[in-house]
Amino acid sequence: MTEEIIVSFKQVEKKYEEESVLKDITFELEKGKFYTLLGPSGCGKSTILNIIAGFTEPSEGLVNLNGENAAKTPSEKRKVNTVFQDYALFPNMNVFDNVAFGLKMKKINKKETVEKVKTALRLVRLTGYEKREISEMSGGQKQRVAIARAIVNEPDVLLLDEPLSALDLKLRTEMQYELRELQRRLGITFLFVTHDQEEALAMSDEIMVMKDGEIIQTGTPIDIYDEPINRYVADFIGESNIVEGRMVSDYQVSFAGKSFVCVDGGMNPNEKVDVVIRPEDLTLTDATLGQIQITVETQLFRGVHYEIVGHDLDANEWMIHSTRKSEPGKVVGLQFHPEDIHIMRLGETEEAFDERIEQYASVADAVEKGGGVDG
Amino acid sequence: MVKNTKLSSVYLFVVFVLLYLPIFYLIYYSFNAAGTMNQFDGFTLEHYTALAEDTRLLTIALDTVRVALISSLAATVIGTMGAIGIYFSRKRRTQGLLMSLNNILLVSPDVIIGASFLLLFTLVGFRLGFYSVLFSHIAFSIPIVVLMVLPRLEEMNPHMITAARDLGASQWQVLKEIILPSISSGILAGFFMAFTYSIDDFAVTFFVTGNGFATLSVEIYSRARQGVSLEINALSTILFLVAMAIVVGYYFIQKQQRTRKKILAVDPTNHEKAVMP
Repeated sequence: MTEEIIVSFKQVEKKYEEESVLKDITFELEKGKFYTLLGPSGCGKSTILNIIAGFTEPSEGLVNLNGENAAKTPSEKRKVNTVFQDYALFPNMNVFDNVAFGLKMKKINKKETVEKVKTALRLVRLTGYEKREISEMSGGQKQRVAIARAIVNEPDVLLLDEPLSALDLKLRTEMQYELRELQRRLGITFLFVTHDQEEALAMSDEIMVMKDGEIIQTGTPIDIYDEPINRYVADFIGESNIVEGRMVSDYQVSFAGKSFVCVDGGMNPNEKVDVVIRPEDLTLTDATLGQIQITVETQLFRGVHYEIVGHDLDANEWMIHSTRKSEPGKVVGLQFHPEDIHIMRLGETEEAFDERIEQYASVADAVEKGGGVDG
Repeated sequence: MVKNTKLSSVYLFVVFVLLYLPIFYLIYYSFNAAGTMNQFDGFTLEHYTALAEDTRLLTIALDTVRVALISSLAATVIGTMGAIGIYFSRKRRTQGLLMSLNNILLVSPDVIIGASFLLLFTLVGFRLGFYSVLFSHIAFSIPIVVLMVLPRLEEMNPHMITAARDLGASQWQVLKEIILPSISSGILAGFFMAFTYSIDDFAVTFFVTGNGFATLSVEIYSRARQGVSLEINALSTILFLVAMAIVVGYYFIQKQQRTRKKILAVDPTNHEKAVMP
C-alpha cells in the first residue's frame, strides 16, 4: 500500500504583527487517517486549520495540498472542508439547503444534488430531516448537519475545529464513536482539533501535541500515552505521577531514595531526569511488600476506581488508581514493573527522543522476550 | 405600589392626550362648515371635495411620494453597501472613524444640512427643483440606513461567511446567499425609516426646492403662512389616516409572522412523526 501524502507543512511560521503564533511547524498527513491536534486554547492549533483551509496565509514556509504548493489556491478552490465549533449553519435555509450549499455553489445539477444530499444525510443519520429549519434542530442534530454539509463536497481533508465542545458529555462520547466510524467508512483524512485529551486518545490514528505554536510530540495515542516526551505532554495526556530522578546507568534509575530497574537508556550517567508512572500502573500492597512506601492522605471514590493520593518520605506526591480501598493516614506500599517506569530527559528534542526510544525499546523487548525475536 | 401604578397610568394618559390632542383638534375642524378654526358651525365634507379638486396640491402630494420612494430606495442601496463596507473595514480605528462620520450627519441640524446643500447646488450651478430635492433626500437618508443595517451585520455569526467561503462560494455568492438574507430585516427597516424621514422632512427641502417644485411639508407651510385654510386640515387628516393604516398593517403582518413561527415551534416532533414510519 502506498501512502499518499494529502497535506504537508514544511517549516511553516505564522506571525501576527510581532507575535509569533506558529513556530517552525513541519508535518505530513496521509490519506485516510484520523489526525488530532491537541493542545490548550491559544496554542495555535486553529491557526493550522485556517492555513490548510486557506483562510489565512503562512508568514513563512511551504504548504502542500495533494503534492502541489497551495499558496496560490484560494480557499474556495481547495478540496478541504471545515466543521466549525459553533457549526456556522445558515439559519435562513433549511437542512436540505444547508447541506446542498456547497453543491449549489459548484453549479451541480438538481438531480445529482438531491442524490448527494440524501446520501450525506443518511451517513450522519438524519434521513427525513431535509425540510426542517435549523432553529428546530437540537445541538447534536445541528452538529450532524454541519458534518453532512462538509462531507457532501467529498473533500480530501475534513477539518474539525473542536466540533464536540458544545455538546453535553453523553452526546459527546456518542459523537466520538460516530465520527471515528464515519471517518473509516468515508476514507477521508480527518484533522480534528481539540483540547480534550480523552477525545484525542479515543479517536485518533495519530496525535500531534501542541504548545505555544510548536508541535511537541507526534505519535499514536498509545505512544503518546506510554512514552510522553516531557513533563508537559505527560501532564496534558491523562493523570500521571512525575517525580525527579537520576539515571544511575542504562536500565537503572534512582528516585524516591531508591534505585530501580527500568527499560530506558541512552542517557549520560547520573543525568537528572523526570520519571513518570501512570496512576493505574501502581498496585497497592502492604507496606513491607511495596517498592515504595507512602502515607495515604486523601481517597476519592471515582466509580471505576478509588483515586488515592499520598506522599513518600522524599515528599514526592503519588496518585494511585486502585480498585482496592485504603484509608487516609495508613502507610501502604506501591508495586510496579520495570516497564511501567518511563524516563524523560529534560529538554530533549522529538527527533532525538524517537531515535533513543527506538533503539532502547527494541533492546528492552529483546531482553524481555528472552533474547530472540525472529522476523 | 398600587398607588404608584395608578399614578403612572395617569401620567401616561396625560402624555398621550398632549400628544394626540392637537391632531384630533385639527381633524375635528376639518369637518367644520364655518371655514375657520374659531368655532364649530356644522358638519361638512366640502374641504375634502375642495381638496380633491385642488390639482396643484394633488400633484405636490404625488411628487412628495415620488421623491420619498426614489430617494429611500437609492439610499437603501447605497447605505447597505456602505454598512457592509464599514463592517468589513477590519481596522477598529477606521471602523470607528467611519461610524462617527456617519453619526455626525445624523445629529447635525437639518437647517445646516439644507443650507450647505443650497450652497453646494448654487456653487456648481445645479438648477433647484425635483433633482436637487431628490439628491439631498438621498444624502440625508443614507446615514439612517447605515444605522439600521450595521447592527444586523454585527449580530451575524462571522463564521457563516467563512463557512460559505469554505464551501466554495465566491465573494458575490457570499453577499447574495448569506449576508443579504441575514440582514434583510435591517435593510427593510432602513428603507421605511428613510421613507418616513423623506416624507416629513421640511427644513432641508425648504432650502433646496426651486420655484416650480414643492413637497407637501413646504406647501403646507407656505399655505399656513397665508392664513390657514381648512383644506390643510383635510389633507392632514388624510395623511394621519394613511400613517395609521400603515402602522396597523405592519402590526398585523408582524403578528401573522409570529403566530406562524409559533405553530412551527409547537411540536418539533410533528415532522418526525410524519416522516418516520
